[in-house]
Amino acid sequence: MSELMLPKQKYRSRKKRARIVRLILHIVLLLCSLVFVFPFLWMLVTALKTPAELLRGIDVFFPAKPQWSNFIDAVQKIPFFMYLKNSLIIVVLVVFGTVMSATTAAYAFAKLRWKGRDKWFIVMLATMMLPIQVILIPTYVMYSWIGWLGTRLPMIVPAFFGGGAAFYIFLMRQFFKGIPKELTESAIIDGANHFQIFLKIMLPLSKPAIVTVALFTFMGTWNDYFGPLIFLSNPDHWTLALGLRAFQTQYGGQYNLMMAASILIMLPTLIIFFFAQKTFIEGIKFTGIKG
Amino acid sequence: MGKTISIIKMRKQENLIGYLFASPWLFGLIVLGFFPILMSFYFSFTNYNMVSAPKIIWFENYRILLTNDNLFWKSLGITLYHVVIAVPLGIFVGLFLAFLLNSKIKGISIYRTLFYLPNVVSVVAMTLLWMWLFQPNFGLINQLLKPLYDLFKMEPLGWYLDQDLSKLTLILMGLWTAGGSMVIYLAQMQDIPVTLYESADIDGASWFKKMIHITLPLMTPSIFFNFIMGLIGSFQVFTIAYIMTGGGPSRSTYYYAYYLFDKMMNDNAMGMASAMAWILLVIVLIVTVFALRLNKYVFYLGEDS
Repeated sequence: MSELMLPKQKYRSRKKRARIVRLILHIVLLLCSLVFVFPFLWMLVTALKTPAELLRGIDVFFPAKPQWSNFIDAVQKIPFFMYLKNSLIIVVLVVFGTVMSATTAAYAFAKLRWKGRDKWFIVMLATMMLPIQVILIPTYVMYSWIGWLGTRLPMIVPAFFGGGAAFYIFLMRQFFKGIPKELTESAIIDGANHFQIFLKIMLPLSKPAIVTVALFTFMGTWNDYFGPLIFLSNPDHWTLALGLRAFQTQYGGQYNLMMAASILIMLPTLIIFFFAQKTFIEGIKFTGIKG
Repeated sequence: MGKTISIIKMRKQENLIGYLFASPWLFGLIVLGFFPILMSFYFSFTNYNMVSAPKIIWFENYRILLTNDNLFWKSLGITLYHVVIAVPLGIFVGLFLAFLLNSKIKGISIYRTLFYLPNVVSVVAMTLLWMWLFQPNFGLINQLLKPLYDLFKMEPLGWYLDQDLSKLTLILMGLWTAGGSMVIYLAQMQDIPVTLYESADIDGASWFKKMIHITLPLMTPSIFFNFIMGLIGSFQVFTIAYIMTGGGPSRSTYYYAYYLFDKMMNDNAMGMASAMAWILLVIVLIVTVFALRLNKYVFYLGEDS
């Protein structure tokens, strides 16, 4: 049949079909976005409701009188600013430590020739596959022996020694490899040593990769729950993630306050994500394709 | 003569500098990696409890776990259930989203951002949010399903409070973060050369055929990557259960990592917990090796076949 159709007709029907397909696609995409985004919206309206409005479910979508005071209540019911301070202390130091240890190791892997380098590189990739539990128990015991339990040190110090940085080292290594050899070679001829090359040439040229590493480390550390749960036994050192959990165990049923507190914790990561979307997406792509 | 000596000297120096640059990481690897692995292997053959010195009891921990501990098998079974459902489902949803976005319509990058958004949220906040959404009496999900419940004259589902549904509830919540793998799939899809599709078009291939014979085979590296990562992650599932269900109801979400956590943090049974960690390692290793054998079905573009 189709062979009998005039070319023009064929073209037209195909165009029409493409339009219908596109319409269906748009509808499906909108529905999917709803599934992904509506929970956030529901979180916000829940955070603004009174307890009575909570019990009425979807009968009240938007609260009659938004209870902005819920946010103040949530902050006052837990030592919020202490948790915030604790989170910031850990996050800042971990980001700094990770960037330092990841860039130096990556420079060694990308630009220097040393014995066993390629073997160590494989070992590094293998550490990504290891279940954390195997390492967790002895490190916990070790920290207790040297008196680090009950301090923040177990959360901070490993970052300076490449703890959990395998992926970042890998990412930085790929980036360094892309920097032309001629640049480092001419610097060596000019009499620069490797430390100067690293500090004056490699790091300034690698800003995008360093930003990626810093952002991912920030997100991971800010959101981390398991590490602090194991190692931060002193409530005065608790981070926001632990604080939110403490809030839940104390005020379990008060979902309006719980959602308000959750929003406050999410806000920094959401804001950073919105401003640095591209960096994130590129970083994630990198994991999948080069990994 | 003098030249070769200076080159050898330079090589030696570079070797030293290489180790120097790698040294922070190497130190960490040895002290926070190798040493703990050996130690945990040793602990697994002892009765160490943080109070008295470890005493070697050989395979006693393993024997108790494997032959005399119902909870061990139960938690392992629950974890396997989670792995078997969550990993394929996650891949399916991730791929589905990527397929949707791999088209020439407007606003793709906005959709991509929206789908990815849940991945930047703290797990604790995410779990609390979904507890509220799944809350059986006032939660959004049961309220939206109410017409269906009425239609089939059934009781509203209890979700995480129902021991038959609790694991599925956690798995469903996990799908909210499928946007993470979607980004990887999408990137790979967009890397597929257009010429392949064009020549398929000339041959008159249908959309479905192009998908089966071009898109999916060329997607196998990223599917494989997400499969392995999903396996490793799912075997260690803990936090979502800890926050949402506390391992319940009736221990229905008492995952392997949860049991291990209790052994370690509540009982201080470091020997027993280490044995559990090693059993987990062996299981993950075996599954990964099996998965790696699938590698021969993975098609890498730009590789000589």
